Amino acid sequence: MVDSLKVRLFKEKLFLIGIAVLTISTVLPLFHIMFSIAANGIPVLLKGGWDFITGTLAPPGGGLGGIGPAIVGTFILTVLASLMGLPVAVLTGIYAAEYPNSLIGRATKTLLMVMMEFPTILVGLFVMDIVVLPMGSYSAIAGALSLAIVMMPYVAVYTDEALRNIPPKYREGAFALGLTRFKVVFRVLIGLARKGIMTGILIGIAKVAGETAPLLFTAGGATRVYFAGLNRPVGAIPLLIYQLVQQPYTNYHEIAWGASLLLMLIFLAIFLPIRLSLKEVKL
Amino acid sequence: MILAEKDRKSEEDALEKMAKMRHAIETIDLNIYYGDHHVIKGVNLAIPEKVVFAIMGPSGCGKSTMLRAFNRLLELNESTRVEGDVKVFGKSIFKMNPIEVRRTVGMVFQHPNPFPHMSIYDNVALGLKLNKLVKDRKELDRIVEWALRKAALWEEVENKLHKPASALSGGQQQRLCIARVVAMKPKVILMDEPTSNLDPISTKKIEELIYELKKELTVVIVTHSPAQAARVSDYVAFLYLGKLVEVGSTVDMFENPKEKLTEEYLTGRMG
Repeated sequence: MVDSLKVRLFKEKLFLIGIAVLTISTVLPLFHIMFSIAANGIPVLLKGGWDFITGTLAPPGGGLGGIGPAIVGTFILTVLASLMGLPVAVLTGIYAAEYPNSLIGRATKTLLMVMMEFPTILVGLFVMDIVVLPMGSYSAIAGALSLAIVMMPYVAVYTDEALRNIPPKYREGAFALGLTRFKVVFRVLIGLARKGIMTGILIGIAKVAGETAPLLFTAGGATRVYFAGLNRPVGAIPLLIYQLVQQPYTNYHEIAWGASLLLMLIFLAIFLPIRLSLKEVKL
Repeated sequence: MILAEKDRKSEEDALEKMAKMRHAIETIDLNIYYGDHHVIKGVNLAIPEKVVFAIMGPSGCGKSTMLRAFNRLLELNESTRVEGDVKVFGKSIFKMNPIEVRRTVGMVFQHPNPFPHMSIYDNVALGLKLNKLVKDRKELDRIVEWALRKAALWEEVENKLHKPASALSGGQQQRLCIARVVAMKPKVILMDEPTSNLDPISTKKIEELIYELKKELTVVIVTHSPAQAARVSDYVAFLYLGKLVEVGSTVDMFENPKEKLTEEYLTGRMG
């Protein structure tokens, strides 16, 4: 028996409807998250005003104050983590792309993939063991190191991919000019892959700016002091949210919503340009 | 009868003349393998200086592979293996640093490949700057202009030297690649089907350029088109399935091919 055209068209329609329903149910939670954060966060930001961004935390049970130390902390941690992680990560990506068939190159690629999926809390534990315990204190350095380790595989993998996607004719062209391998990579190929590499860097930064787990045992958190030194504890927005929600005070829960909204805005501010720039990536 | 004898005489003369000239490139029992695949099979070839030498043959006969052996570009691909020797002006390229080889033997590729993220100027200047071949900015400016004029591109780009190279047409991009190579003042330029992606007018410009270039250097051009070989070259080698079938002066080979295979190829019955 052959299906009549009508039956087949009906099946197709059913199939499309099925896909649409499943798609909506997949993205719905995302919109729900964004909506509830905005609905709960906007009133807090309006009530707290400018102070919410620059001030320090209010005492339990009274008022809002501000989450300035956490914002400053997130900024410091992200910048420090980038300083530590990005150069190493980009060089690792270059190595993996340049020596894809060597034993170390292949091992690097595999390990990067593992690192990307590695539970970040274990990274935090590791850094606690090698930095926090010997130093005897939570610190900005420890938090940044942990974030750097989380960030590296993303940046390295994107760098590797971006370099591999360069059509071979440019590589050959550069070598044919009598350039050394170092100059071929750093003066020609990096330039060609810059958009892909930048995307990786921004994704890495967006990723760590929102991380909590690697900071739990390393950064320590700070709510009243903006910055006391690299060897002192610092705050971070995700860490602050985690700590506030555990407190039995309603004003702290409100602050947590406000902080969540700010975190979401920061994340979108990093992420949207990535999406837009990705569209441009053409070779 | 008399005609045939005359032909043979001129052929012998040509081969004799070729043997006497200084050789820009010489291959000795050249064998090239891609993994287990034997691509070039025992080729012995001598390319005289300051001529246009065409290597022609059907697609897949190993022409481009052989060309890439001449500037050691082949070794970028780890699965290739080269046996035998290639000499550039009498010196084995395998005893030279690959960078030195590539500065002596420049290359123009099948697909125009100026670096799209760099300006027209920077494309030409890059090799000079990175190889530290110029003293100052003034000298660099001078050589860039000189190279662009040599590549018959100066008039078209004079006013947009700092625009990205990707804005040029395909034919202009290929001439920019020639300028980029010429700027390095190589003694030999390898061209791997430089016009196969270009329109007839751009092709004509490149071919005229090749004719100009041979006054100062040696051009080795790979082409799958016998017509192009006939138009541009002084000498021609016919390669088939990795073997050198015939080599000689272009006029002789086109008028009077010695091998049956060559004749079949030239008359379009094969390839």
